Amino acid sequence: MSAAATLLDRLGRPGGLRLGTGSSGSAPHHLPSGIDALDTALGGGFPRGRLTELSGPRSTGCTGLACAVAARTTQAGETIAWVDPQDALEPDAAAAAGIALARTLWVRPRAVPDALRATEILLGAGGFGLVVLDLGQPVGRTTAWPRLLHAAERSRTALLIVTSRREVGACAALALQVTSRRVRWSGGPGRRVLLDGIDARVTVVRNRLGRPAEAVVVRQACA
Amino acid sequence: MPRIACLLVPDLPVAAACRADPDLAGRAFALTDGLGPHARVAAASAAAHARGVRPGRMSAAQARAVDADLLLRLRDPAAERSAARALADVALSLASRVETAADGAVLLDADGATHLVGTEAGLAAALTARAARVGLAARVGIGASMTVARLAARHGDGGEVVPPDTEMGFLAPLPLACLAPSPDVAATLARWGVRTLGELARLPAAEAATRLGPDGPALIRRARGGDERPLAPDPPSATVEEAAALEYPIALLEPLLFVLRGLTERALARVGLQGVGCARLGLALGLEDRARDVRELPLAAPTRDVKTIVMLLRTALEATPPHAAIVAAALTVVPEAVRAAQLGLFAPPGPSPERLATTLARLAALCGDGRVGAPVVVDSHRPGLAAIAPFALLPPSAPPAAPTPAAPCRVAVRALRPPRPVEVFTERDGPAFVRGAALGGRVVGAAGPWRLAGEWWSTHGFARDYYDLELTDGGVYRCYRERDRWFVDGVYD
Repeated sequence: MSAAATLLDRLGRPGGLRLGTGSSGSAPHHLPSGIDALDTALGGGFPRGRLTELSGPRSTGCTGLACAVAARTTQAGETIAWVDPQDALEPDAAAAAGIALARTLWVRPRAVPDALRATEILLGAGGFGLVVLDLGQPVGRTTAWPRLLHAAERSRTALLIVTSRREVGACAALALQVTSRRVRWSGGPGRRVLLDGIDARVTVVRNRLGRPAEAVVVRQACA
Repeated sequence: MPRIACLLVPDLPVAAACRADPDLAGRAFALTDGLGPHARVAAASAAAHARGVRPGRMSAAQARAVDADLLLRLRDPAAERSAARALADVALSLASRVETAADGAVLLDADGATHLVGTEAGLAAALTARAARVGLAARVGIGASMTVARLAARHGDGGEVVPPDTEMGFLAPLPLACLAPSPDVAATLARWGVRTLGELARLPAAEAATRLGPDGPALIRRARGGDERPLAPDPPSATVEEAAALEYPIALLEPLLFVLRGLTERALARVGLQGVGCARLGLALGLEDRARDVRELPLAAPTRDVKTIVMLLRTALEATPPHAAIVAAALTVVPEAVRAAQLGLFAPPGPSPERLATTLARLAALCGDGRVGAPVVVDSHRPGLAAIAPFALLPPSAPPAAPTPAAPCRVAVRALRPPRPVEVFTERDGPAFVRGAALGGRVVGAAGPWRLAGEWWSTHGFARDYYDLELTDGGVYRCYRERDRWFVDGVYD
């Protein structure tokens, strides 16, 4: 294919507008997670300009799922930010998950209020494809969610909040909850046992952009 | 024929005081050389002049007697130096060869500057506008020599351009006092009936030396529009400094930040003239006990955002307050180019470099030093290590035309820093029960041990037996045993 044809394919050919696909009322753009079943259930992935909440107890694969979205976003050439008040990100695990570390801004606030403020600053700056706020633990009552939602809408940034239990409430356009999980161990009698992975059942408990109550099993493997 | 521009602030001490305290603009005030009623009035504003205050001839008490409402302020040499340097920065933003005269006038080579702004009138207008940006009302004159440019600035209409070969016509009607001759020479010339530069220029220079002494020919050359020496450019300065002496000691943070905000605004306005940002910040505080508190504040990225720098100053001063009240403050800014990036046609738009720089600086001020950047994989076999590098915006890369095949989703590890000590009860075939802070339970799945050892050649050597343990509390943990002590350093998630 010639370079001109490639350009036309990307930009759209003259007269190639399909009728009935006007911008009014169209769904917002999405960030795919790379997990086909989940992306299908979410109508394309995690919505830009909206707040998505991903909650689940310890070792249910929430961080792995956030890494999957971050990996796809950085591989698409976008810049992301990872706000990490618990200082829990392991760079080598993130790199193994496919995240382009050079396109990742890692912010390590010392406390949760600072993390909320840092997230607001990042959203206000604009230009980030995805901002992950990895709280990991319950935050309690806060008035920050509407502000973060407003900032995400203005910057068209997908904001993903990872918590251990649902807290964001009505501000989240999309809420995913890990309802159950199974830890897979390989090996058996006479063989060395290894941690093989985690199968997590992710339920769409709230979806203002599509159908809620869909459940998907996400299979995560150890590196 | 060279072309020289002169940038001049007529009464620099008064202009510097108004620049440091904009509330003084338009008010009747005088600057004194010292404290007390006998201090000499060194400078006075135009409003004070109009009410009869005469600098150099009056004491503070006499000036007050002339005008009871007169504001008296102590002259601030630091603020005057900053104003003079700000004027030089204005010139440097449009020319590379700039000389600062002793009286604060700035002379610049206009030959290399007109291509930036089109005409010499445009250059004069640009210099005036940029001087206003740094808080100074400057006058500009452009001519064939430093003498002509300086006289055009002082006696012109504020943006006077003397075209080539018309210098004599411009200079001729100006009074002799413009060249500030020595009293003896001035008296002799007055006796001869020479009152203007045109009359002086017509005198024969060779004979003037015998009648007026060595100053005579030089004075005549200047009256004809010539210079005694060429432009001598100043060496370039690597920093921008704004300083102020305080009228009274400040012991509270908020009033001090108010002063520092003013210094920051003025310094960043100067930095902004060059189109660069502030990369490093130096703060020097003069204390009441004559000590000095000097500190250097690095920024995560060059920025021109006042709020960010004030936040950084607040954080630094709150963390380690000065031990005495403040009587003087000086802010030094090290300028550096703000990183630029070329956007791609198909690449997603990333953060703009300047906004990102500001964002990084604000985040660094909020989170602390070394807590904002790009994660880096450490070249070590020890699990859980992390490093952070300065974040630089990569050129955007176009997304692949065809979607890449989905990679398998990986289990991530949440690091626990520092590793948490735990108690582990073992049975014959391995760990059976784990107890620790915020975690614990019976082991329901286990893998390991596998030994990791390294860095034995250094003082940080380690030799650990690692286990993956699934507990009844729901967590899957990465544990290790080292010297008969157990730790958890990660959670699979």
